[in-house]
Amino acid sequence: MSRWPFRRSFRPGQVRANPGDDIHEEIALYLELRAKELEDEGISPEEARRLAEERFGDPGKIERKLRQQARRRQVQEEMTMTMGGLKQDLAYAFRTMRRSPGFTLVAVATLAFALGGNTAIFSVVDAALLRALPFQQSEGLVFLNGYHLVDGEISIRGASFPEFRDWRDRSRAVSPMAAVGGMSFALTGDGEAEQLATEVVTGAYFEVVGYSPVRGRTFLPEEHDEPEAHRVGVISHGLWERRFGLDPAVLGRDIVIDDRPLTIVGIMPVGFGGTNLNTDLWVPEGLMGANALEQRGSRFLTVIGRLTAGSSVATAQGELDVIARDLQEAFPREHEDRFAQIVSFRDGYLGTTGGLLWILMGAGGVLLLIASANVANLLLVRSHGRTREIVLRRALGAEKGRIVSQLLTESFVLAVVGGVAGLGVAAWALLVLAPMIPAGVLPGYVEPRLSASAFAFSLAVLTMVGGLTGLVPAVASTRLDIATRLREGAKAVGGGRRLRAQHVFVVAQVALALVLMVGAGLLTRSFRAQLSVDTGSEIEGVQALRVRLPGGRYDSNETIWAFATELERKFSSLPGVSSAALASDLPFRGGFSASYIFREGEGEDARIRYHRHSVTGDYFATLGMKLAEGRLFNADDIDGAPGVIIITSAMAARVYPGERAVGKRMALRPDGTNEVEIVGVVEDVLYRNLTTSLMVEANSPDVFFSFWQIPSRNVEVAVLTTGDPSVCCDPRAACHAKGSGGGVGIGVDSGSHRCPSKGKPACDSEIRSARERVQVPFRSGHVLHRGADPDHRAAEGL
Amino acid sequence: MSGSDLFTGTLDILILRTLAPTPLHGYAIGRAIRDGSEGVLSVEEGALYPALHRLEARGLLEAEWGKTDTGRRAKFYQVTKDGHEHLGREAARWVEFSGAVAAILGPDER
Repeated sequence: MSRWPFRRSFRPGQVRANPGDDIHEEIALYLELRAKELEDEGISPEEARRLAEERFGDPGKIERKLRQQARRRQVQEEMTMTMGGLKQDLAYAFRTMRRSPGFTLVAVATLAFALGGNTAIFSVVDAALLRALPFQQSEGLVFLNGYHLVDGEISIRGASFPEFRDWRDRSRAVSPMAAVGGMSFALTGDGEAEQLATEVVTGAYFEVVGYSPVRGRTFLPEEHDEPEAHRVGVISHGLWERRFGLDPAVLGRDIVIDDRPLTIVGIMPVGFGGTNLNTDLWVPEGLMGANALEQRGSRFLTVIGRLTAGSSVATAQGELDVIARDLQEAFPREHEDRFAQIVSFRDGYLGTTGGLLWILMGAGGVLLLIASANVANLLLVRSHGRTREIVLRRALGAEKGRIVSQLLTESFVLAVVGGVAGLGVAAWALLVLAPMIPAGVLPGYVEPRLSASAFAFSLAVLTMVGGLTGLVPAVASTRLDIATRLREGAKAVGGGRRLRAQHVFVVAQVALALVLMVGAGLLTRSFRAQLSVDTGSEIEGVQALRVRLPGGRYDSNETIWAFATELERKFSSLPGVSSAALASDLPFRGGFSASYIFREGEGEDARIRYHRHSVTGDYFATLGMKLAEGRLFNADDIDGAPGVIIITSAMAARVYPGERAVGKRMALRPDGTNEVEIVGVVEDVLYRNLTTSLMVEANSPDVFFSFWQIPSRNVEVAVLTTGDPSVCCDPRAACHAKGSGGGVGIGVDSGSHRCPSKGKPACDSEIRSARERVQVPFRSGHVLHRGADPDHRAAEGL
Repeated sequence: MSGSDLFTGTLDILILRTLAPTPLHGYAIGRAIRDGSEGVLSVEEGALYPALHRLEARGLLEAEWGKTDTGRRAKFYQVTKDGHEHLGREAARWVEFSGAVAAILGPDER
C-alpha cells in the first residue's frame, strides 16, 4: 500500500485553529500570571501589569516574531510535502511509462517529430523574418526601386546616376541616401586570379549601412566626385584574411584590379558584406568614368537609404511618387512609364520568399495542432483505460488534488522526454535539410540555426494542449460516485463524455490533416508546373561557367575573340562533352542587358526594347532551342560580314505581323544606321522568369547576335554533357590551359572563397546544373544587381 | 562562539532541563528558571517564547493545549525523546565547557 502516492491522505488531519490566536493567548496568559505574581509581592495591580510587560520586553514585537516563525515553518512543511509528493509522482510516472511502452513510444515519437519539425521550420522563419539584418539599425533601411510599368506589370530596373541624384537631392524622408552598383572585378597579381564581388558606391554609402572601417578610411569627397582620377578601394575583412593574411601593411598598397593598380585605403569589419552580403571590394563611383555618371538611361544602380526620424515608408513613398512624376515631365523620353517604390530592407531581401515563409510557418502551425490533438487523444484513450485505477484510488481515500497532480506529472514527464528527443530531431533536420535549400531561395543573411525561442514555443503549445487534455478525464473521474462505479466494475465510467471528446479530437485531426494535405498538394502541383513549364530551351545536363575578361588586357574585340576561340575549343574537346557554346549570358543566370532596336525606316518612334545576347554558333543546339524559320549562325557570321540577328517567334509576330520576318532589316541606332539582317527565328524562350507569360516577354523580346560580330567580356560557357556532368569539373584547368599569357588575368566567377572550407573543389559551387537555377523563382524584390556590363547598359540610353 | 549563540544555547538547555521532569506551560517554565538561577540569568522574559517555539519546531519539545490548576487554557510543553537525548549531550558539553573556563580563570579571580 505504501507504494501508492496518497499515503498522506491517511494522516489524521491536524485541526489547526488560527495559530496567531494561540500565540496571543499564550503571551496573554504569561503576562497575566506574571502580574499576579508581582501583585502577590505587594505591588498595585496597575503597576504590576506595567512591570510584567516591561520585564517581558515588547509583547507586540515578540508576538510578531513568533508569528513569523510559525509562518516560515508552515511554508517549509508545505515545501517538504510537495517535494515528497513530486518525487513520488515522478517515480510513479516513470513506472507507468515503463508499464506501457507502446503508448510511451508513440507519444514520445509524436512529440519528437512534431517538435523537431516545427522547431526546424520556425528556426528558418525566425532567421529570415525576425532576426536582425546584418546592418546597423536595420529597421530604418530602405531600398528605392525604380521600375517601369509594362502592360500594367511592374518591371524593376535599376536607377541611373542622374536619377539617383534627383531622388537624393529632393527627398526629405530618406536621408542619407546612397547608390550602389554591383560589379565584378578581377583581382590578379600574387596568387590565383579571382573574381571579386565589387560595389561601386556613392558618398553616403557607409553612413547609410552604418559601418566604418576597422582600419584605414572610407572614401574622400574628391574620390567620389572626380571621374577616373583616383583608383582607391576598401576591402572586406574576408578578403583581407584570405588574400593578405591579415597583414596591416596592406593599407596603402597597390593591388591589381582589372589589370590596373588600385590602392587599398580601408578594411571593413568582420561580417560586413555590403548590400550584396558577399561583397569583397568597394570602390567610389568616380572610378566609373564620366560617361556612366551622366547617362540618365544607364540604369544599373541599387539605391539605398535611411528613413529620417518620424518618416515612414508611406510618407517616403508619397514623396518619391511626386519626384517620379516630376521626372516624367522633365525627361519624357527617359522616364516614360517610370516610377519608383520604397521597400524596407527586409522586404527587399525576402522578396516573394517572405510570403512563402509565412505559408511554411502556417503549415508548421497546423502540424503542431495535429500533433497536439494526437497527444491529447492518446492521453484520453489511456486515461479511459485507467478509470478503474483512479476510481480505486479515490475509494481508498486519495484526494482529488493528488490524482490531478499525478496525471499532470505524467504529462510533464512525457513532454520532457519528447522534448529532448524533439531537440535532437530539430538539430538533425537543420543539419540535413538546410543544405538542401537551393541557393538563392533565402536571402544571404539567413543562417538557419536552432532557435531556442522556436523550440520553447513548440514545446509550450504541445504541453499545454496535451497536458490540459490529459486533465479532463482526471477531473471528470474525481466527480464520480465511487460506490456505484466500484459496483459496476468501473467498466464504462464516463464513457459517453470521453468518447465524445475523442471524436472531437479525431475530427479535428482529420480536418487539419486534410488542410495540410491539400496545401502540400497545391504546392507540389505548382512546383511540378514550374518544372514542366516549357522554357523553350532544354537545359538538362547543361553545365554553366561564368568567366569575365578584365578590360585592361582584353581591350579589343580581337583579344576577346582570340580567347573565346581557345575557350570554346578547350571545352568542346573535354571528354563527356557533346557540345559547348559561349554566350554573353544564359537563361535564368542573370547578367542580361537591355537596349533598343528600330524597325527599318521608321526612326526612333518605333523603338523596341529588347534583351541582347551574343552567342556562338553551337549555342542553340547546346541549349536545345528550336529553329522556327531561316537559319542559325554559321561560320560566315564573323567580323566584317553583314550583321545578322536571330529573333524569337513572339517578336516576329509582334514586329512583323502577317509578314515573313526572315530577311527583314533592323537598325541598332535611332538614326537608322548600324543595320542588321534577321536571318533566323527561333521558338519562344523564357529567359528570365518562369512565371512571366510569353506575352509579357514579347514586350522585351530576346535578340541573339553572333558572338563573332558583337563580342562580350562577360562570357558564359554552356556545356552539354553526356553522362556524368562532373567530368568537366575544373574549369580553371581549362582557363589556365590557355597558356601562361592568357590564363592569368581571367577571373573565374566561382565563389572560390566559400568552397575550400567545405573541402570541395573550388569550382564546384559554380558548376552547378543550370536546372537548379530554373527551380529558383525569379524574385522581383531581389533583383539588386542585374547585369554588370556598363558597356551594354550604356546602350540603353539611346 | 558569539555571545548571542552562547545565550541561545544556554537558554535552550535551561528550558529542556526545566521541562525534563514534567510538562509545564510558558509562565511556569520562566518562573522555574528565574527561581533556579537566583535571578542571575535575568533577561528579557519574553525571549522565552521564541526559544520554546524554536525547540518545538526542531522536534525537541512537544506542545499540547491543556488546563492549568486554576482551569485556565494554556499551552503545555513537554520534552520529546529527541529532546532528552539533546539535553544529555548538551548538558555534558556545557559542564565540560564551564569547567574549562573556570579552570582558566582560576580561583584567584573568584
